[in-house]
Amino acid sequence: MHDYVYPSIFLAYFMFFIFLVGGIFFLVKSLRHGYWGKNSEDPKYRMLADDEQEMTTRKASEVEG
Amino acid sequence: MPAPAHVSALPYGGPGSVSPVESIHEDTTAKWFMLSAISYFFVVGIVALTIAAKFVWPQLLGTVSVLTYGRLRPLHVNGMLFGWLLAADMGLAYYFVPRLCGVKLWSEKLGVATAIIWNIIVLGAVVMLPMGLNKGWEYAELPSVLSALVVVAWVCFGINVFATVATRKYEQMYVSLWYTMGTILWTTFVYATGNIAVFFTTGVNQANLNWMYVHNAVGLIFTPIGLAIAYYFIPKASSTPLYSHKLSMVGFWALAFVYVWTGAHHMLHGPISQWLQTIAITFSLMLLIPVWTVVYNFFATMRGQWYQLRENVPLKFLMSGVVFYLLTCFQGPMHSLRSVNAIVSKTDWIPGHAHMALLGCFSFFAIAGCFYTIPRLFRTELHSIPLANWSFWFFMIGGLGFFVTLWLGGFWQGWQWNNPSIPFIDTVRALKPVWTVRFFSGILMFLGITTFLYNIWATVIDSQGKARSAAAVVNA
Amino acid sequence: MLGKTDKSAVGFVVAALIFFFIGGLLTTVVPPLVDKSWSQPFENHDPAKGPTGKLVPLNAQQLQGRAIYVREGCWYCHTQQTRTLLADTKRSGWKGVDSPISTPDEFVYDSPHMFGTKRTGPDLSRVGGKYDTQWHRTHFRNPRDLTPGSVMPPFPWIVDNPDEFNALVAYIQTLGRCKDWRPDNDYER
Repeated sequence: MHDYVYPSIFLAYFMFFIFLVGGIFFLVKSLRHGYWGKNSEDPKYRMLADDEQEMTTRKASEVEG
Repeated sequence: MPAPAHVSALPYGGPGSVSPVESIHEDTTAKWFMLSAISYFFVVGIVALTIAAKFVWPQLLGTVSVLTYGRLRPLHVNGMLFGWLLAADMGLAYYFVPRLCGVKLWSEKLGVATAIIWNIIVLGAVVMLPMGLNKGWEYAELPSVLSALVVVAWVCFGINVFATVATRKYEQMYVSLWYTMGTILWTTFVYATGNIAVFFTTGVNQANLNWMYVHNAVGLIFTPIGLAIAYYFIPKASSTPLYSHKLSMVGFWALAFVYVWTGAHHMLHGPISQWLQTIAITFSLMLLIPVWTVVYNFFATMRGQWYQLRENVPLKFLMSGVVFYLLTCFQGPMHSLRSVNAIVSKTDWIPGHAHMALLGCFSFFAIAGCFYTIPRLFRTELHSIPLANWSFWFFMIGGLGFFVTLWLGGFWQGWQWNNPSIPFIDTVRALKPVWTVRFFSGILMFLGITTFLYNIWATVIDSQGKARSAAAVVNA
Repeated sequence: MLGKTDKSAVGFVVAALIFFFIGGLLTTVVPPLVDKSWSQPFENHDPAKGPTGKLVPLNAQQLQGRAIYVREGCWYCHTQQTRTLLADTKRSGWKGVDSPISTPDEFVYDSPHMFGTKRTGPDLSRVGGKYDTQWHRTHFRNPRDLTPGSVMPPFPWIVDNPDEFNALVAYIQTLGRCKDWRPDNDYER
C-alpha cells in the first residue's frame, strides 16, 4: 500500500498557512475599511428589541399608507 | 445606534412572556414542529430506555424479532436525531428567523406542509426500521423512500428560510441567521453524500463517504443549528446583549472551513490511508478554534449575569449546554490523537461522548428554546416553573450519571482490550455495573423527558382554556 | 467593501459553499484517485510479501447472509477491522497465530461497508473459519449457553429458518478469509 503521510502533513501545514494569511489579510482590510467599527455590532442589540411590538406599529402604519 | 441602556432582566415567565399586542407572526409551522418533536422525544425515549435495559437483561424481549437490539437501535438513533432534535431545531428556526429578519415567515402554508412531510418521515421510520428495513450505514439507516422525503422537506425548509432572509427588513444579519443558512446549505450536500453518493461506491471509499456524513451530521447539521439557537436564546433569555458580534463571525467562518475535513478520524488505525488519517487529525485539532471562540462569547455574555441562573430555567439549560459543548469539543480533538484513540476508540466511552454532544449540549439548547418559546407562542405562561426545574435536574443528574460512568467504563475497557491476555468476554462482564448505572441514569433522563412533555402540553392546554374563558368574558 | 460582508446573503452563500467544498472535495473525491489500493481487489501469490490469497466477490447465498447481517444490525456491536494495533492482531488472531491487519484491498466488493464504530462484541474481521456450523447454531439460539456473561441477543427466528441460518453462516465463514492467514489451513466449516 503506497502512502502519502509526509505530503499530507505538508498539505496540512499549507492549509494552516493559507488560513493564517487569509485571517491577517481580512483583519487588516477590515480595519482599513472601518468595518471593525462600532456600528458593526448593531445586530446584537437589535435582536433584543421587542420586535413583536415594533412590527405591530409597522403593520398599523402600513394600513394607514 | 448607541448601546441601549441595559434592558431590565425580566424573570422567566414574567410579563415579558405575555404579549399583550397582536403579533404579525402566525407561527403555525413553529408550533407544529415543536409539539410533534417533543412528543417523539417521549416516544423514542421509551425505545432508548428499552435498549439500555437490554444491556442489563440481555434476554429481555429477546425472542421478538422487531424488538431486538439491532432493530431498535436505529430507531433510537434516527428517532432522536430526526424525530426529536432536528424537528425541534427546525421549529425553533421557524420561530427566530422571521423575528431576526423583522418580517413574517415567507410562506406559512409551505411551512405546515414541511411539518406534515416531516411527521410522515418519522412515523415511517417507526414502522420500517423495526421491520429490518435498514440501509446499513450509520445515521443513514432510513430506507431510501424516507431519505428522499427528508431531501424534499429539507428543500422546503431551505426555500422558506432563504426567502424570508431575502425579504428581511434589517440588512445586517445576526449570527443566528448565518448559522441557520449555513446549516441548510451544508446539510444538503452532507446528506446527499451519506444517503446517495454511498450507493455508487464500495469498501473503504464508501466508508470514507459514510464517515464524512456521520461526522458532519453532527458537525455541520446539529452544531450550526444548535449554535444558532444558543446565539438567539442566550441573549434573549438573559436580556443581555451578546458579548461580540465580530467574534461570533470568526467562530462561524472557522467552523465553515474546518469541520468538513475530519471524517476519516472515525477510522484511525483502521484500513484507510495513513495520510488521510493525518489530515483528519490535524483538522480535528483545529476545531478547538471555532469552539473556543463560541464558548468564550457565551461566557463573556453572561459576565455579571450569572445570578440569573438561579431563577431562569431556559438559561440553566442553555448555559449547562454550553459547558457540555466545551467538554464534548475538547474530547473530540483529543480522541483524534492516535495515542488516545488507541484506547478510547470503539469502546463505551464513545456513546458517552456522543450523548454529551447530542443530549447534553444540543438537546439542552432545544429544550431551553421550547421552554422559552412555547409560552410566548400560545400567549400564556409556562404551566409550572418548579416542574421545569425538576426536568432540568432530572436531565442533569441522569445525563452526568450516563456520561461519566460510560467514560470511566470505556476507558477501563480500552485498557483491557489493549492487554490481549484478558479474554474478550471478561471485558464484557467487567462493564455490567457500568451498564446498570447507565440504565438507571436513563430512567432519570426519561423522567426529565416526561416532565418536560407534560409541562409543555399542560401549557398548551391551559392556553386553550384561557382563550375560551376570555372569549366568554367578551361575549358576556 | 468589507462593510458589506455580513449584509450580503448572496455573498454568504458563495463563501459558505466554497469553504465547504475545499475540504469536502479534498477529503472525499481526491483520496480514491490518489490511493488506487482502495479499489484494487487483494491478490498475492508470493508468500514473501505476506499472506497469500485472492479476494473474490460473494456468491448469492453469502450475499443473502450479508443482507441478514445488515438487517439484524449485527454491525452495531461487531466491528470488521483488525486495526494497526498489536492488541487487535492478537485478539483477531487464533490458536497462537496473530492475524494480519485489515487493508483496504480486502473490502473492495463490500456495500454497505461493515467496518463498524462500536465494539460491544468481539471484532469479526477474521472470524471466518474459527467456529463450525453447529457452534453458530447453538450460539445464535442463546449466546449465553456458550459464553456465559455475553450480552448478545438470541436470534431464534434465524436458527429456526434453515435458509437464513445457512446463508448467515456462509457469510460469516468468508470474513477475513481472502488472506490465507492460517498456517496449517485449519479452518472450521
